[in-house]
Amino acid sequence: MAAVLEVKGLSKKYPKKDVFAADGVSFTVDEGEIFALIGPNGAGKTTTIRMISTLIQPTEGDATVAGHSIVKEPDKVRENITYLPDEAGAYKTMTGNNYLEFMASLFAKDKDTLEKYIARGKAICGLGDRLEEKIGGYSRGMIRKLLLARAVMTEPKLAIMDEATSGLDVINALEIRKMIKNLAKEQHMAFLLSSHNMLEIEYVSDRVGIMTGGKLMVVGAIDDLKERYEAANLEEVFERVVKDNEVR
Amino acid sequence: MKFGNLLKKELRELITKQALISMVFTMVLLIVMGQIMGGAMEEGFDTSTITLCNQDDSEFTAEVLKKIDASQSTKINYVTFESDDYAAELERLDIKNAVIIPQGYGESITEKKEPALIKFVSKMSTAGLASSMSTISGSDVISEIQTVCMNEIMSKNYGLTEEEIALIREPMTTVEYTVNDGKTAQVSASALGAISMMQSMIAPFAIFFLLLMAAQMIMTAISTEKIDKTLETLLSAPVSRMSVLSAKMVAAVISALLNALFMIVGFALYMVGMMGSAVNEISTAANEMSGVDVSVMTDSITGVGQAMAELGISLTPLSYVLFAIQLFFTLAIGLAISLILGAMATDVKSVQTLIMPIMIAVMIPFFVTMFTDVNAMSPVFKVIIYAIPFTHTYTALTNLMNGNMLLFWGGLAYQIIFFAVCMFLAVRMFTTDKLFTMSFSAESAMKKRGKKTVSNEQ
Repeated sequence: MAAVLEVKGLSKKYPKKDVFAADGVSFTVDEGEIFALIGPNGAGKTTTIRMISTLIQPTEGDATVAGHSIVKEPDKVRENITYLPDEAGAYKTMTGNNYLEFMASLFAKDKDTLEKYIARGKAICGLGDRLEEKIGGYSRGMIRKLLLARAVMTEPKLAIMDEATSGLDVINALEIRKMIKNLAKEQHMAFLLSSHNMLEIEYVSDRVGIMTGGKLMVVGAIDDLKERYEAANLEEVFERVVKDNEVR
Repeated sequence: MKFGNLLKKELRELITKQALISMVFTMVLLIVMGQIMGGAMEEGFDTSTITLCNQDDSEFTAEVLKKIDASQSTKINYVTFESDDYAAELERLDIKNAVIIPQGYGESITEKKEPALIKFVSKMSTAGLASSMSTISGSDVISEIQTVCMNEIMSKNYGLTEEEIALIREPMTTVEYTVNDGKTAQVSASALGAISMMQSMIAPFAIFFLLLMAAQMIMTAISTEKIDKTLETLLSAPVSRMSVLSAKMVAAVISALLNALFMIVGFALYMVGMMGSAVNEISTAANEMSGVDVSVMTDSITGVGQAMAELGISLTPLSYVLFAIQLFFTLAIGLAISLILGAMATDVKSVQTLIMPIMIAVMIPFFVTMFTDVNAMSPVFKVIIYAIPFTHTYTALTNLMNGNMLLFWGGLAYQIIFFAVCMFLAVRMFTTDKLFTMSFSAESAMKKRGKKTVSNEQ
């Protein structure tokens, strides 16, 4: 399958900082594939994700989304992605419906598409009548479901999600994971995830990239990695990769 | 379409039900305050009824009171004090004040040919303005009695006619002229001063509120978006950053204007409520007491307007247009700076800290221009004050009124340059990753300060 995202030597150095937050990161994500970046705090996952989302510019390297460069054509990239930040909120004075309508209006090129997006968003979030209420009165879980629905309702080529299920209870998190898998399989949407939850990543992702100290250390399918590191699960793979790196 | 949706979203965020309620509440509060103040002053100015206790049985006093009774303006409410305990008497008679003509008043004037004693007792009913007003009205009543007494003395003792008495009382009429910029008009300088002061009070007040409201709104809007991470979602959507930026600025201008409108209407009605009734009372009282026709006073006010036009110090429609342009640039500068500062906030506390520089920059010229003339200051202060872009808007009306066009255009040019620089910085911030990498946290600033203090102590 064709690569939706191609990351080539992406690096970021923040002003007044001595080290690179992301250092020569390279990987690809294919159409319909779920790829997860995992790593300890400060490993450079969010910096990499923010560069791909065109929010911050890389110091070196580039990445292409559906063939468009994040450096040269950020506007084109934005038409093909959606980004769900970790611990994000929504406009409290809007109702759930207002929010979906507003966000859909930024992506839709005509009225029919707009209505299609809104209908999808409403169906996916599963909030029913609560969509008539102001977001200010929503629980954290409800906001997360609304934001997830927003991120996939426009059928982007690549959905980027930082801690997709944070703030959700077990049942809701399970639903979301199933939804991501279905969308990838049936709609051929590509997902770039980042998470601390190894169980979730093991369940949902096709391939993972383990980051530490700004560098992408290992990339591979979960089963391959488990075999390579003789580990029972992804958590053990992760532990070995991080520890090996510390020793070096 | 996208800009329209963004603007609608920004307005929805800024003009909430709560915000509208607080705007209306502020306006109503100001109006009610004006009415209360006006009512208090009206009460104080009430001179139509005199409560009088006449303890003198002389013919002279009887004659004076007859004359006052005959004048249509003043009604005398006669009371009798049974003792010298004034507090108890005011309480018993349920009155707020009384003029007392003591025994021997008439005799003192007619026989002894020396000033007589008259007493005025008033109860301190309310603190502040109203009670002092009531004392003023008391002395007005006494001066009316005095006038009638003088007329009596002059006609009885010296046999003067009414015309002669009138001439003695007012032997001349003053005609005042004011000169400005080579032009002369028949108007008193103090009357002009009072009118231009009213103008130079309202406009700066409006500018002050408009600027602070707009600054606070856009800072809260941008910092909330950044803290809630809705900005990241918005800026990763296919929408140009310039339209996000301009929607925020336009929405802040609209809501600031709405806020200022409520505030100014409230303030104007407060002034009308407070001053209107007082002015009416004064003119009616003056009319009734001295027989001056109110229309003469109204004429004199219109006369001031004409005189201002003659002197070339009135505002033409063009000056208002120029002032509006000036105001627009001030607002735009305020918004651009607030946008940059607001984007640096990482929490609610830091928003409060970050708004301080704008507040100071708005307040300094507000007070300086209100209490002094910037041009009369020392060169160093003059440069400092004029370097604050907002100063030029506070002085714009005065400059336009007095025809100081060089100062006006210079100020406007400076503001345009200042705006261009601020806007360049704001756009740069919005189109690069500075928006996400720049930050100011009140807590970390406090910690840094704390560390410095500790290291100093060590």
